[in-house]
Amino acid sequence: MKQLGSGVRAGGRFAAALVGAAMMASAAFVSAASAAELTVWCWDPNFNIPAMKDATERYTKAHPDTTFTIANITQDEINQKLQTQFLAGVTDGLPDIVLIQDDNIQRFLQSFPGSFVPLSDSIDMSKFAQYKVAAATHDGKSYSLPFDSGVAGLFYRTDYLEQAGYKPEDLQNISWAKLIEIGKDVLAKTGHPLVSMDYNGDDLIVLMMQSTGQWYLKDGKEPNIIGNPALKAALQTFQTMAKEGIIKSVSGWTDYTGSFTSGQVAAVPQGVWITGTIKSVPDQSGKWRVAPMPILEGVEGATHFTNNGGSSWYVLASSKHQDEAVDFLKTVWGGDVDFYQGILINQGAVGSLLAAREGAAYKESDPFFNGEPVWQNFSDWLAKVPTVDYGTFTPEARMAVRAQIPNIANGGDIDEALKAIDAQLRQQMQ
Amino acid sequence: MAKTRLDRSEQINGWAFVMPALVLLGLFMIYPIIWSLWMSFQVGRGANFSFGGLANIQRLANDALLIKALTNTTIFFFIQVPIMIVLALLLAVALNDPTLKFRGLFRTALFLPCVTSLIAYSSLFKSMFSTDGIINQALLTLHVIGTPIPWLTDPFWSRVVIITAITWRWTGYNMIFYLAALQNVDKSIYEAARIDGIPAWARFTRITIPMLKPVILFTTILSTIGTLQLFDEVNNITQGGPGNATLTLSMYIYNLTFRMMPSFGYSATVSWVIVVIVAVLSFIQFMIARDRRRAT
Repeated sequence: MKQLGSGVRAGGRFAAALVGAAMMASAAFVSAASAAELTVWCWDPNFNIPAMKDATERYTKAHPDTTFTIANITQDEINQKLQTQFLAGVTDGLPDIVLIQDDNIQRFLQSFPGSFVPLSDSIDMSKFAQYKVAAATHDGKSYSLPFDSGVAGLFYRTDYLEQAGYKPEDLQNISWAKLIEIGKDVLAKTGHPLVSMDYNGDDLIVLMMQSTGQWYLKDGKEPNIIGNPALKAALQTFQTMAKEGIIKSVSGWTDYTGSFTSGQVAAVPQGVWITGTIKSVPDQSGKWRVAPMPILEGVEGATHFTNNGGSSWYVLASSKHQDEAVDFLKTVWGGDVDFYQGILINQGAVGSLLAAREGAAYKESDPFFNGEPVWQNFSDWLAKVPTVDYGTFTPEARMAVRAQIPNIANGGDIDEALKAIDAQLRQQMQ
Repeated sequence: MAKTRLDRSEQINGWAFVMPALVLLGLFMIYPIIWSLWMSFQVGRGANFSFGGLANIQRLANDALLIKALTNTTIFFFIQVPIMIVLALLLAVALNDPTLKFRGLFRTALFLPCVTSLIAYSSLFKSMFSTDGIINQALLTLHVIGTPIPWLTDPFWSRVVIITAITWRWTGYNMIFYLAALQNVDKSIYEAARIDGIPAWARFTRITIPMLKPVILFTTILSTIGTLQLFDEVNNITQGGPGNATLTLSMYIYNLTFRMMPSFGYSATVSWVIVVIVAVLSFIQFMIARDRRRAT
């Protein structure tokens, strides 16, 4: 009994020491906290990370107390970590600011309500491209600081097209049908396929469809597959391109980027964020130009303007420094026009802040693109991209479409494919 | 009395010794298993879920994607496992031959694949089998093929790549089990057979295989479980594509949980499908092995 008693006392002393240590640690933590340390999660060391770094450097000049840690985490991993931790209700270790792709955000907003800080309370959302704001709006509040625009264009090799007898004027304001004709000539005369596509992806379909203001889902809720003229036309166009042999099929991102950096394909229809990758081969300088996206002829609402990918910044509700995080985004990402000139020149990042388009860099022409004012073009197109509601089930819809891509490429019936897409999407939406 | 006290003390001490392990086991194994079972009766998205009774099981029946994943897994299972087991067995017998030179070198070479990182070898296979990869270039140079094979973008060929990859990775692993078992086979049996004039092939089928039956059963069950849990290779080489041609059950569970709008309840149900299939297949394999032993 006596022994036990001394044991308890010893335990007590130990516990007291522990509590003391904990108090000291938390005191240290509090003092560190007042000098806000903000953690940012994002992907792509050639694009998002340097852009964010530039932003934090600008902010810390005026706010030396705030420090930033930028972690390079893949998009898949970010989604996975957020999802697991939100579900478990454990928010320790989550960052203060996170980057999320636009067509993926609604599922977080809807399935984990209250996990993000509504930014429309403190930032004027009318300053940004509206289709970007719409993507992150839920229940009347907007949650994102719209960043990277997915506004798209048709990047093409002037040298290959010239060999096939085409001039840059021949690519202005054309239809996909016309582009297919050009592609056939390019293939016949140069041996290069027109474009490449990941057969495990649906980027091309997405680009064609959004240019008409249509989407896989109606109002973000109901499947819009059967009886969606834009989707049907997009799939038919893709099938024709595959049949003519002007699409090079690739697997995965490395293969995809390799197909144009190594000069195999003549054109890249893609979001503006691909610019950095295209420009990563300096000896192709002067060989590239950018044309507006071809139009999906015969479909109501068809335009030359579309979007693919693109992502935005979010502040987590679990952040201990929400105010600092919001202030940082508001000050730099939501107001610093000069900052956008820098990331445009260095990373080819076309932001979504409309005022940034007035900056000097946006008016510059780029020697890599034959002295064309590419940025001016992209920012003009940016304001004209039709808004669509990605809704909650876009990942499911895209998966269902991807499942049919090889089949369609091999000449499968489009109506059957649409039925299969619709069935799979409905099954997954349960 | 003294004995009882000793017994009791031994019992208490015994429990005290295993308790930490039991607590950890309970916390990190039993609890998650029970929780996932409870989870499989929940419906809803993300953090908003509620008890759904048998709704998830009903959903299983109409899930075309699950059927697809199940079909793919079955194809991998029926093609890959027999190829691998036979190959491993033949290699083990060949490398067990004492007259063979550089045996150690060959054994190491064949075993090396299964100590390689799954991610590293998957990435390597992906680049080797890409349209402009080394495999196509070699085949083109040797005039085996006229146009590059779309290894990763065609549903049939992508399955071939996955089967090749897992065979490369796991054959050596199974071979080691057979080699170990072969060391325990009494050499006098083979000597007697040789004296009786039994040809080599008959020695292999009539002596080696029956002697190795327990090990073959063991490796088959391990491979069954491995195939049903196939994930890394598919995720890294084909992402389940093209057109879901290589989607496996594990990949499907991953997609349900992390790629799509999270439906944790339903993905738990699909996980339990794997558990049930593994249990059933293992049971069948045990039964087959047991019946044969009785018959002979």
